[in-house]
This record gives sequence, C-alpha cells and structure tokens, in this order.
Amino acid sequence: MSQSPNRRPWAGSAVDVAGGLFLLAIAALGYLGGFNLPVGHLSGIGSGLLPKTLAVLIAAFGILLIVQGLLGQGPALERWAIRGPFFVLGAVVLFALTIRWGGLLVAGPLAVVMSSLGSDDTRPTEIAIFAVALTLLSGLLFKELLNLPIPFDPLGLIPNSLTQAYAGAKAGIAGLFAALKGAITR
Amino acid sequence: MTFDLISNLALGLAVALTLKNLWLCFLGCLIGTLIGVLPGVGPIATITMLLPITFGIDPVGALIMLAGIYYGAQYGGSTTAILVNIPGEATSVVTTLDGHQMAKQGRAGVALGIAAIGSFIAGCVATIIISALAAPLTAMALLFGPADYFALMVLGLMFAVVLARGSVPKAIAIILVGILLSTVGTDLESGEERLTFGWTEISDGLDVAVLAMGLFGFAEILRNLEISQARDVVRSAIGNLLPNRKDFAQSAAPIARGTLIGSILGLLPGNGAVLGPFASYTIEKKLAADPTRFGRGAIEGVAGPESANNAGAQTAFIPLLALGIPPNAVMALMVGAMTIHGIVPGPQIMTKQPNLFWGMITSMWIGNLMLLVINLPLIGLWVRFLKVPYRLMFPAIILLCCIGIYSINNSPVEVLMTAGFGLFGYAVVKFGFEPAPLLLGFVLGRLMEEKLRQALVISRGSFMTFIDRPLSAGLLVVSVITIVLAVLPAIRKGREEVFQEAD
Repeated sequence: MSQSPNRRPWAGSAVDVAGGLFLLAIAALGYLGGFNLPVGHLSGIGSGLLPKTLAVLIAAFGILLIVQGLLGQGPALERWAIRGPFFVLGAVVLFALTIRWGGLLVAGPLAVVMSSLGSDDTRPTEIAIFAVALTLLSGLLFKELLNLPIPFDPLGLIPNSLTQAYAGAKAGIAGLFAALKGAITR
Repeated sequence: MTFDLISNLALGLAVALTLKNLWLCFLGCLIGTLIGVLPGVGPIATITMLLPITFGIDPVGALIMLAGIYYGAQYGGSTTAILVNIPGEATSVVTTLDGHQMAKQGRAGVALGIAAIGSFIAGCVATIIISALAAPLTAMALLFGPADYFALMVLGLMFAVVLARGSVPKAIAIILVGILLSTVGTDLESGEERLTFGWTEISDGLDVAVLAMGLFGFAEILRNLEISQARDVVRSAIGNLLPNRKDFAQSAAPIARGTLIGSILGLLPGNGAVLGPFASYTIEKKLAADPTRFGRGAIEGVAGPESANNAGAQTAFIPLLALGIPPNAVMALMVGAMTIHGIVPGPQIMTKQPNLFWGMITSMWIGNLMLLVINLPLIGLWVRFLKVPYRLMFPAIILLCCIGIYSINNSPVEVLMTAGFGLFGYAVVKFGFEPAPLLLGFVLGRLMEEKLRQALVISRGSFMTFIDRPLSAGLLVVSVITIVLAVLPAIRKGREEVFQEAD
C-alpha cells in the first residue's frame, strides 16, 4: 500500500480533507444562523444552545477529518459530474418555477425534457412523445383520480372544443370514475 | 395475556378485513412494488413519492396503505436485485449475490419465489412478535421520563454510527449535521427563529419529506447517471416460479434462522434492520456444508437474507409504535407521514386508537399474503418494466417526485428546496458520508432537544438526572460501550468484513 501505482503526488485522503472542509462550511453556516440566539443556562436552555454546540462539534469533527486526511491514506476525491446535476436539478427548479403559472401541462413536459438532457443517450423524438404522454397520464392520475389540487392548465392552452369533448367523455365515464373513487376513498 | 393478544388481533382483523381497507392494502402493495421495482428507487423515495396519494383517505386507511407501500417497495427492491443486479437499497445488497446468479442460471423464478415465500413466513412471525411485544413495551414506555427518552435516542444514534459504513468520525459528524438541520425553524419554547436567515418559508422547519426526497430520490438519480447504464437485465427464461422439494428442503432452515435474526435486529434502535440480511448471509455461509456454492447461486443465500430483511422491516415498527422513536430512515419518514394525517406515533396510540394500532398490525400480515399473491403472477410484468431503458425512467421519476413534493403542501418553494437538498445529498455522498444516518439524526434531533430541555427543567438544570435515573444511566452506559467497541480495531475489522461481503 505504500507505493500507489497511479503516482499520486500526495498520499493523503482527498475525500477526508474535502469532507472536513464541507463540515467546516456547514458548521460556520450553523453558527452564523444561530449567532444572535441566547444560549441560556442549564435549567432554562436558550434557543441558541443546541445550534451553537452542534456547530462547534461539527467543526471539531471537520478539523479531525482534515488532519486525518492530510496524515493518513485514503481514496481520492471522486470526480463531480456537471451535466447530470445541472439538467436534473435544473429540471426540478424549472418545474417549481412554472407549476403555478403554467400548470402541469407546461411544467410537466419541461421537467421531463430538461432532465432527459442530463443523460447522453436521450433520443429527441422519443423523449418528446414520452414527455407529453407522461404529462397527460399524470394529470389523469393526480387530477382526476386522486383529486390533488395541483394546477393542470391554468393558461387554457387546451382548445375549448377539446375541453368540451373531454367533458362529454368524462360525463360518460363519470360512473366508472365514481365507482373507482368510491372504492378508494370511502 | 394470550387472550388479550387474540382479542387484539381479532379487533385488528375486523378493521383490516373491511372491503375498503383490504383494497387500500392491495393498492398500496401493488403501487409500492411498481415504484420499488424501479432500479435505484428505494423505499424512502417510494414512500415520499406516493405520500400524496394517501391524502384523501382516513388515517387508518392511509396508514394501512402506507405500510403496504413500504413492504411493497421492500419486495420490489428484492425483485430488482435478483433480476437486474441493482439493489434498491442497502438491505437487498446481499440478495444480488446469489439471487442474480440464480437468475443467470435460468432460476430467476425460483429465486423470486423463495424470496416471496421466505418473506411471507418472516412477515407472519414478525407480525406475531409485534403483537406480543407491543403491549409490554408500551407499558414500559410509560415508565420513561424525558431523561430516559433522551438516553434511548442517544443509544439509537450510537447504533446508527456503528451500523453506518465508513469511518466512525464521519458517521458521527453526519448525524450531528442531521440534528443541526432539525433545529432550523421556529424554536418551540421561545418562538425565536433559528437558522432561517430571515427566510420565512422555513420558519416552520424543514419538512422531512423534502429532505428525504432530495437526499434519497434526486441524489440517487444523479449517482446513477454517472454509472454507465449498461443494465444487466436477465435475458434467460424466468423459469419455474415454485421451488421444488429440494429447494424447500434447502431453504427451510435458512428461512427460520433469517426470520429470527432479522426480527431481533429489527428491534434495535439505529437501523438494526440493515444488519439482518448481512448477518443471515454470513451465518448461512458459515453453516453450509459447501461454502463455495455461495456467490454462485446458492438458494440459501437468497432465502435466509430475504427472510431476515422482511422480518427486520416489520419489527422496526415496534420502536416507532411503542415508543414513538423511529429506528431508521424509513420509519423516520413514516413519522412524517403519520404527522400529516394527524397521528402522533408513540405509546398513546395503542390505548387511544386501538383500532388504528391493531388494524395496521394485522394489515401487515394481510399485506404479506397479498405480496405473495400479487408478485408471483406479475413477475412477467416486472421483467418487462425493468427493460424500460433508464433514459426514459429517470425523467419519469423526476416528474413523479416533483408532483409528489408539490402536492404535500402545494408549495413550489418546497420543490425548490428539494432540488437544493438533492445537490446537498450528492455532495454528502461524494465526500464519503452516508445520507441515512443524517435523516435519522434529523428526525430524532427535534425529539431529543425537546426531551433534553424537559429533563433539565425537571432536574432544575442538573445533568445528574441522566445518571441518577437507572434507566437513563443504563442506556447511556450501553451507548458508551457501543461507541467504544466500534472504535476498537478488532471490532472495526469485523464490521468492515460484514459489509465487505457485499462488495
């Protein structure tokens, strides 16, 4: 183990050092967030005691990890992917930003298409069809069957004629839905 | 005592066997399996995603459905482990070893069959254990003062440290981070805002579902995207589903041992259940006449761990229901789910809402039966489902997660926060920490602070209360012993070996 084959200039553990720094950052944030809170005394603990104590402890562990990482040996830091996190989390953010304004009809396909860009074997046509199908299906499931108050089409993007046709069809199968829903929620 | 047990179970059956609750149990098992089968989606992500489905239902029905979703997801994870060699979560890692080998040899059906049968037997035994232990434990819980509760939770977290993979300081540190996150929001006693940085959206505190979805749902997808997606879905025939007489003869003892080991470990606070399958696998390998068969498709290596897995998954409900203390991350999420339905888990449930308590317990048994009935005929469907390429699967998971999180409070901000925690979870894993102890620390943190403050108010500020009370002193001594043992080199080596089995 003393001679690592991939000639790393420094034998320490980058994961531990990075993890330690990560803990220090969290501790700093925790300490700052509770900075103005009273610590109180033992018979009446103040709201600031726990956050501050925890922050100090976390910082201590952070330093321990850094020292351990600098002195000991261990794995190197894994590479961070950029593409996956960017598109996947970006899709979630996009969903959050558009759901109230455009409803599921807008937010759904946006989230599906955007997140699919995070993978390099996405096929454009396939994902476009999939996005629309998935949005309609989840609308049917969450809106119609489960009655969740998630907005579906607040902008009125679906043409009136279609909505009316759907309403007619819905009235037709309302009996079926009522029976299903009765079975679920009774 | 036995009479009580029978009458309680009868009450439970009366609740669980109503047409509506049977239907909910069935639906929960089915949907839970459906989502749980997806590679890389474990029970935590499944429950969070499906939580909104239960909103329109009364508390008893909702809990029955959630429990169904939980063990459906658990079983779905095993199916994926056997068919694709991707464990849905830590407890089905062991199943991949021999289960996937069996599948490659054309015996996937038998592996799935014995997993289902073993799980069913384990579930039956665990249900009886829960019913037998619940009453005495609940009675014991009444003796617990705040100091004792605090000590018990410390013990739970110490167990979580020991059972986490990787280094002990890292495990402790990440639990502390979890507890720190639990302090975010308005302080219950003084009404002061803590760690909110003036952001009113989090003045009620962070939602456990938001944290769980970020840490386990999104971060998992990010990691999956990095691994090349050449999935190894079994191509050979599924084969016969029912194990033959020889298979049964080989599996009977491992199932019995696995059930026993899993049930006992599941009771431990701090995620003892995760140890069950590993322990069972190690024991079966040691006991086997020919240990070299293990890793090459030995049916004992599926039957034992799967039984242990399911037994532990169920007895893990005991600390939650009897003491109100979630023993692991999944149960932590169940606390969140129960709170949404206005149920406070703890010893008072059994006395105040016996129909809810016993209805849920008996529904577990019925759910296990249903899993057997649902899964075996539907295996063909799961196989086809698993062949859906990941490039389509993960955007669908993302959309379902978004809808799920949004629907909990109709809040776009919570969706944003989940994305943030997804990035946070990705970093946590990249820096070599484990996310599960963090979530446990988060859920226990709030309770611990409350009990700590209560205990110190009662004792007028003297820490001696934790040592003067025999219960709390005993629990703290065990905690110290646990952590000392974990740091000792000999045990540490053993602990690494147990987990290495999986690698």
